[in-house]
Amino acid sequence: MSGPPVQDPPRRKIVHVDMDAFYASVEQRDRPELRGLPVVVCKKSPRAVVTAASYEARPFGVRSAMPAMRAAKLCPDAVFVDPDFARYKAVSALIREIFFRYTPHVEPLSLDEAYLDVTAPLVPSPSATQTARAIRADILAETGLTASAGIAPNKFLAKIASDWRKPNGQFVIKPHQVTAFLRDLDVGKIPGVGRVMRAKLTDMNLHTMGDLRELSPDVLVERFGRWGQRLSELARGIDERPVKTHRAAAQISAEDTLSQDQVLADLGPHIQRMADKTWAAYQRKAERVARTVVLKLKTSDFQILTRSYTPRVPPASKTELYEIALALCARVDLAVTTRYRLVGVGLSGFIDAPPTMQQATLF
Amino acid sequence: MQFTVQRRDMLSALQTVIGVVERRQTMPILSNVLIQGENNQLTLTATDLELELVTHCPAVIEAPGAVAIPARKLLDICRGLPDDAEIQCRQEGNQTKIQSNRSRFTLAVLSADDWPHLDEVESGQTISIPENTLKGLLDRTHFAMAQQDVRYYLNGLLLSLRSDRVRCVATDGHRLALSDANIDVNVDEAIQAIIPRKGVTELVRLLGNSDAEIRLMLSNKHLRLELPGLSFTTKLIDGRFPDYERVIPAQPEQEMTAHRDTIRQALSRTAILSNEKFGGVRLTLGEHTLKLQAQNVEREEAEDEIEVSYDGQPLEIGFNVTYLLDALGAMDGEEFLLALSGADSSGLLQAVGDESSRYVVMPMRL
Repeated sequence: MSGPPVQDPPRRKIVHVDMDAFYASVEQRDRPELRGLPVVVCKKSPRAVVTAASYEARPFGVRSAMPAMRAAKLCPDAVFVDPDFARYKAVSALIREIFFRYTPHVEPLSLDEAYLDVTAPLVPSPSATQTARAIRADILAETGLTASAGIAPNKFLAKIASDWRKPNGQFVIKPHQVTAFLRDLDVGKIPGVGRVMRAKLTDMNLHTMGDLRELSPDVLVERFGRWGQRLSELARGIDERPVKTHRAAAQISAEDTLSQDQVLADLGPHIQRMADKTWAAYQRKAERVARTVVLKLKTSDFQILTRSYTPRVPPASKTELYEIALALCARVDLAVTTRYRLVGVGLSGFIDAPPTMQQATLF
Repeated sequence: MQFTVQRRDMLSALQTVIGVVERRQTMPILSNVLIQGENNQLTLTATDLELELVTHCPAVIEAPGAVAIPARKLLDICRGLPDDAEIQCRQEGNQTKIQSNRSRFTLAVLSADDWPHLDEVESGQTISIPENTLKGLLDRTHFAMAQQDVRYYLNGLLLSLRSDRVRCVATDGHRLALSDANIDVNVDEAIQAIIPRKGVTELVRLLGNSDAEIRLMLSNKHLRLELPGLSFTTKLIDGRFPDYERVIPAQPEQEMTAHRDTIRQALSRTAILSNEKFGGVRLTLGEHTLKLQAQNVEREEAEDEIEVSYDGQPLEIGFNVTYLLDALGAMDGEEFLLALSGADSSGLLQAVGDESSRYVVMPMRL
């Protein structure tokens, strides 16, 4: 076939929208007496952790996932508010409706953040920057809440960019700016690089994305396997992950903070309890088949570990789920005396079940 | 700018271009219509940055000029005035005063200098084609275009030109519609262009049944059509259309012919109880009979049987009933032909003895 010259598909335009201190902002919106005060959203329990902190609380060092006791010590004047997830979910649904006006390609990550592919927006717009601005304006007008946005050619960069001008701001990384932007970026900013990974990279004298880029991908692959491959791609600004619209269930899981910290050897009954709960939820709501079993643990000093396994045949009973999760304990390489405060069991890696009705495709 | 115009002239001009004006947009000026007045006529332009429509209407221009006026408000005002009303418009700074008899309106307007004109259309091929021929080609294919597909090149319609033929093709990846008009067009080599969905939809609305020749200009990036009193310009989709010729069955194994209206009615009846989400219908072909069956999630069932001409092997195949009805509704002729090569292969539909429009539908596993 001849005709106009064939070109690559247009560069993607991804927007990452992140609500500013979402739960705390909803509380301040609905309870005017809380406005201007340091607000900490947190369950009422001596062992609870902070769910969200308002911007007024942050200068004191209060952060999400920190124990409530510690937050109270850091910021004695903080107002502690019980979370009301039903309300947050309702607001989140409103925000999602706004997203869908602008593009069908919306991937919610949680109640307060989502990726949007606006390469071909539903609403004509001269640029993704304008689209992001319009979305944030709609959110503010219709919910009274502020959001921040990152605009970039892929998900990885968009997510980093949304953090750049927070709160109530947005930041664009244009394709030609990617290399310069990444050069001095701290490796700790990469989603998935935690304390442990960062220490390993520091040992190799790798501090910035620029350092990673200089290194041959082979070195990283040899040292870190598939994750090394990914790191080396990210350092080059490559991230082909599509915005996945159907995330009905990315993971089904259950987790529980124990009433007392326990050693690994004693976690069996808790793992069983969480496996049962997860299996029940899976039977109830999953329309697809899960292939991967995930065990999540949190140590008494708040280090989070996850171990996962994908059997050749997807797990088919709650007993099997429990057995695999329990077996994953063997892959935990911390001291046997380490105590754990949280246990979680999850199912992920969903694939389409054998369909009863499937439309065949032409191409 | 200041002018006086007949309500009916203004209304018809606004209705011609209003389809382009988006209800939601990120640039305020896109909800406006650009009105330019000189030489006793008004020129109205609407755009969504991809598609641009320009039309004219007669008016008495008291002071020439140009301004961007909120399109839907102006349309609603014209609609609301009596049939034989005369409308006077006068621009005063960033407002336009509209007066008709004792009705007065003041609209906030934007400067014509800020109007986003489409890029200049580079030179390309120009052909002429009878208006009703082009309309027929679009009518018989446009419904098969994809909608908001990630494969952006499917959200449009392929216009394929060669010296002796104009062809339109649309597909959403599950079904395909193709229609040919064998006319001489003056092109040196074959040309293909993908017209975006919205442009196609507007064309279907704007084209009439006259057999007057219209001019169609095709460059690398734009398609422009000159219709009586209307200029239509759309950007083209920059992408590669799938190799559609490959999926048109060349030598189907089995052929069935039947009365087109009879099967349409039977399908519509059966569709009532097909699965709402998938719309599956099961066709069972036996000697001179076609059985149609559907079942929904509540296990309600529909069954129908019609007489057909068929003497091949018994065959059972599932289809999305909407795809079949769309194709049957778009083609001409009293008798149609369904060609099949088994339950897993595509079906080809066309009018008996007429290859100019062909429809390919992939089956559904039921």
